[in-house]
Amino acid sequence: MTARTIKIRAHEVDGQVIVKSVINHPMETGRRKIKKTGKKVPPHYIREVIVSRNRRIVMEAFWGKSISRNPFLAFEIAGRKGDSITISWLDNRGNSDTATAKVR
Amino acid sequence: MSGAIIPGAALAEYPSKAFLAKETPEALREAFGSTDLGETDKIEIEAPLIASDANMVPVRIHSGFDNTESISLVVAANESPFTAVFKLYESQNFVSTRIRMADSSDLLVIVKADGMLHTSTRPIRVGRNSCEA
Repeated sequence: MTARTIKIRAHEVDGQVIVKSVINHPMETGRRKIKKTGKKVPPHYIREVIVSRNRRIVMEAFWGKSISRNPFLAFEIAGRKGDSITISWLDNRGNSDTATAKVR
Repeated sequence: MSGAIIPGAALAEYPSKAFLAKETPEALREAFGSTDLGETDKIEIEAPLIASDANMVPVRIHSGFDNTESISLVVAANESPFTAVFKLYESQNFVSTRIRMADSSDLLVIVKADGMLHTSTRPIRVGRNSCEA
């Protein structure tokens, strides 16, 4: 993976950090057909998302094929300005990516 | 290293069997070991009454329980009803994402808090029927 796939926005309000993120990923269910050939596109989806704050894992998400393409994930967690929020994903083909953002 | 997390360093295990289940009761059994969930009004589900795009239905979940350990989403009409589980390791009570819905369906939200399972249901209608989930 060379292209960056994860966008993170995190800001603090009264000790709560609001994190919004979008991951670029096709999230193929395995049931979509290519119209021209009638062939099914093989499943390709994110199974696992790990979120950490200041290097400590605070959330783990396990996803199936019913999560939309280019998944959106938002959550809130205690924290403050300057904290680092890291999000990593791993898909069913073993691809992965990680990104970190500072809380503003 | 900039605090990168090695994939596979997960604390919990991917609930494969729950995701493979084709029916909601089976999915619940595989995910939680029980289909006996207590109905509650302490889970706030924000989702459209009628979703214009079945492939991108925004949902926002607020758990009203202290010590919320996990929030799970189950879409009854999907071929694989079990949609997602968010395991929360700190004091958290909110998640939001976008889901696919194969058809108009009930969205079940299951919150685990203090080892107890609580559930709340929200019917969502979809505008068209073109989803592959």
